[in-house]
Amino acid sequence: MSISDIHSQTGMNTRSIGWPQVAFGVLLASLLLIPLGIDNAFVSHVFITICLFAALSTAWNIVGGFAGQLSLGHAVFYGIGGYAGVILFNLGVTPWIGMFVGAAVAAVVGMVISYPCFRLKGPFYTLASIAFLEVIRVLSLHFKDMTGGATGMMIDLRLGWTWMVFRERWPSLLIVFGMLLVTLGVAWAIRRSRLGFYLVATRERESAARAAGVRTVRVRLIAVAISSALCAMLGTFHAMYLTYIEPAAMFSLAFSIQIAMFALIGGIGTVAGPLLGAALLVPITEWARASLGASALGLHGFVYGIVLIAFVLFMPNGIMGAIRRFARSGGKAAVEPAQTETGPIVAPAHTVAAPDPDRPGIGQDILKVENLNKRFGGLHVTRDVNFTLREGEVLGLIGPNGAGKTTLFNMISGFLTPDEGKVSLRGVDGQFHQPTNPADFAALGMGRTFQIVQPFAAMTVEENIMVGAFYRHHDERDAREAARETAWRMGLGPLLNAEARGLTIGGLKRLEVARVMAMQPRVLLLDEVMAGINQTDVRRAIDLMLSIRDTGVSIIAIEHVMQAVMSLSDRVIVLASGEVIAEGRPQDVVRDPHVVEAYLGKEFAHAHA
Amino acid sequence: MTTFLQVLLNGLMLGGLFAIVAIGLTLIFGIVKVVNFAHGEFLMAGMFVTWLITTRLGLHPYASVIIVVPMMFLLGALTQRVLIQPLMSAEDDHVQIFATVGLSTAMINLALLIFGADIANTPNFGLRTPIEIGPVRVLSGQLYIFIAAIILVAALQLFLKNSQTGRAIRAVAQHRVAAELMGVNVPRIYILSFGLGAACVGLAAVLIAPLYPTSSNIGTYFVLTAFVVVVLGGLGSIPGAFFGALVIGLVDSLSGFYIGSDLREAVVFGIFLLILILKPSGLFGKRMTLSHLS
Repeated sequence: MSISDIHSQTGMNTRSIGWPQVAFGVLLASLLLIPLGIDNAFVSHVFITICLFAALSTAWNIVGGFAGQLSLGHAVFYGIGGYAGVILFNLGVTPWIGMFVGAAVAAVVGMVISYPCFRLKGPFYTLASIAFLEVIRVLSLHFKDMTGGATGMMIDLRLGWTWMVFRERWPSLLIVFGMLLVTLGVAWAIRRSRLGFYLVATRERESAARAAGVRTVRVRLIAVAISSALCAMLGTFHAMYLTYIEPAAMFSLAFSIQIAMFALIGGIGTVAGPLLGAALLVPITEWARASLGASALGLHGFVYGIVLIAFVLFMPNGIMGAIRRFARSGGKAAVEPAQTETGPIVAPAHTVAAPDPDRPGIGQDILKVENLNKRFGGLHVTRDVNFTLREGEVLGLIGPNGAGKTTLFNMISGFLTPDEGKVSLRGVDGQFHQPTNPADFAALGMGRTFQIVQPFAAMTVEENIMVGAFYRHHDERDAREAARETAWRMGLGPLLNAEARGLTIGGLKRLEVARVMAMQPRVLLLDEVMAGINQTDVRRAIDLMLSIRDTGVSIIAIEHVMQAVMSLSDRVIVLASGEVIAEGRPQDVVRDPHVVEAYLGKEFAHAHA
Repeated sequence: MTTFLQVLLNGLMLGGLFAIVAIGLTLIFGIVKVVNFAHGEFLMAGMFVTWLITTRLGLHPYASVIIVVPMMFLLGALTQRVLIQPLMSAEDDHVQIFATVGLSTAMINLALLIFGADIANTPNFGLRTPIEIGPVRVLSGQLYIFIAAIILVAALQLFLKNSQTGRAIRAVAQHRVAAELMGVNVPRIYILSFGLGAACVGLAAVLIAPLYPTSSNIGTYFVLTAFVVVVLGGLGSIPGAFFGALVIGLVDSLSGFYIGSDLREAVVFGIFLLILILKPSGLFGKRMTLSHLS
């Protein structure tokens, strides 16, 4: 389920209206024009239902698709909107105001119930969402004074635009079509904005997203709030349309499943998918319900279930997935990446100068690590580690396996809290700060890579790098441009539109660096970016790191490739069993008997002493 | 005092009922690592078949166990083979969730198509007769369910601990790839396990049918509580599910009596959410791998 739907194939600077956009526009327009043209109550009803479900499903998709949190309790928000609308209606408040009240309540409820559930994954989030739906349904049955209990609530008879209640169908159609347009517009805007990229990044790889400066909890809460507010407004509309509501219908699990199902069938995580799913399925079922009547009780649900199973088995990416595959195989040339004019920026072919700890250009301290201690149970993984990093310096961090290098990285980027000691980072304001979480570290200009690469698998190379670039650029266009530039610089230019999951390990390592470089960090933590890549690439990577260094970035690199450590580092720290056992110029450190012993054992050290 | 004892006993009996429904669910999750959202519908299917056999052939409902349990085993094995197996390697969880959700939706509505919206009462053959135990009383059918739940838990534990197949199942549950490398036929174990889990719920269906009216949505009613029980007891743990069920049975019964019968579901699901959020390994969960946590 690549997140890039229609628009990514056309790109930003080559944006043109292709046939998918035209087809989508025609479909959308026909949702309004067909029922207005035919002017038949049943046809209008069917189209109102399509618009309603399409809009609900589009709103669901912001949480279920973009953020990847499969809620089967979204009827909660629809129901809240419905009840808010009806209760206020009967108090004499127009639903045009009532729907915003409902939206506000739903947004708050959505955030309150989602916040504790974010650490639940996959089916467990789904279970929690169902449980919340049940609790709210039971409560709505219990508080009869407010909700009317199981008998439900009728709206008082008041007609006209003020009250959103009409004798004819067409005004309702206009309203729900307008709401569908708004919902689609919101989904589209989110999808191509920074928020959308952050949501998908969080879905794909939470830790990598956090390293890229994404405040994962906050972006998810925003998504939930928007999604639930939209569902509530649709709920208000539907309550006015039905003129009668009851808990069993408003807070129904089957209804929630339907909302989610249309998104899956259309293409989960895409903007157009939910509409396609609803437009395909709703007419079939409404027709079956009308023409077969009571004899077909359960028929439409049965068809839904079978269609859902069939899609899951044979077309898990939905209709949009099929369209995309067709478009790709049909016009290969047309979807070839629109490459920018920016040519590859060749790293300066340095003749590697002997590193010098007092090389001019090295400035003041930028990172201070003081008395860092960490224990995992009985294992003391970091013992009293102290060091500083200076501006523009390259610090090599070496040590045998299990020495605690990555743990150290996790602590100086906010992923792990040290038991004792502190990490301070100098901000652009010249002051030292002590951030506590990855996003705060990123905000001060800290970027890191992961030893085990963490690509956003379903995103393209370009989109992966854009997640980093969004850190500096708020506008999608700028971020895309910056990402392309970075990609060419990292030798990923030709792969811009390839999905990250298809990259080789060397490509993934470069992608990892490219993503962090797009953040334009001031301090860069590189965790074994050269492991497992070939000699040519190592040499290229060394040149690249030197060019990064020369732009004034301070680097700490964990590396086992000694060629790189020796030629790059101004200074080397050796870590063994959680302790710093040596520190100094690379050529001195490798001769240090403690270091030799740590790597090769006592006997070897003695034999060569 | 007698009332309190009666409420307590009712809670225990209800716990036994929840346990026998939940055991299959936890078994499937523990081994195949799939949350079967159609579990309740398996129960519903089993209850309808029991009703058919009992009313059409005039047999004692318990006699239908000979047909229902193998039938449910087949249904479970088939589900695994046809629906879940192709999705085992799917990268996104949502595919597996939707697969069983789709199955659940299809089954509920198929039942609605075949049997209509009316409820089906299985003749109870005296299983609703109260048995007096001192000052309190239980229905004989409830007592049998309770005993059956204990026997089922013990039998499954013995099977998993001591038999060769049981060892293979546990190996697969702990590490799929390592088990495969040791020569265990993993797909077969999965099919067997899913079948076994479904067979357990088949047994539950036979025992429950004489006590509860069957309808197309009876599964939802039971399975939501079964999810609570399974999470409470630590997912994948069979004894955990049993004790979790007793706890939930007692909570259900006590809150129904002292807080109000219309709010007992809210209490049960409230506890569920608290456990999910605060202690997702379950009340009795040992340090199991928390595959559902990041």
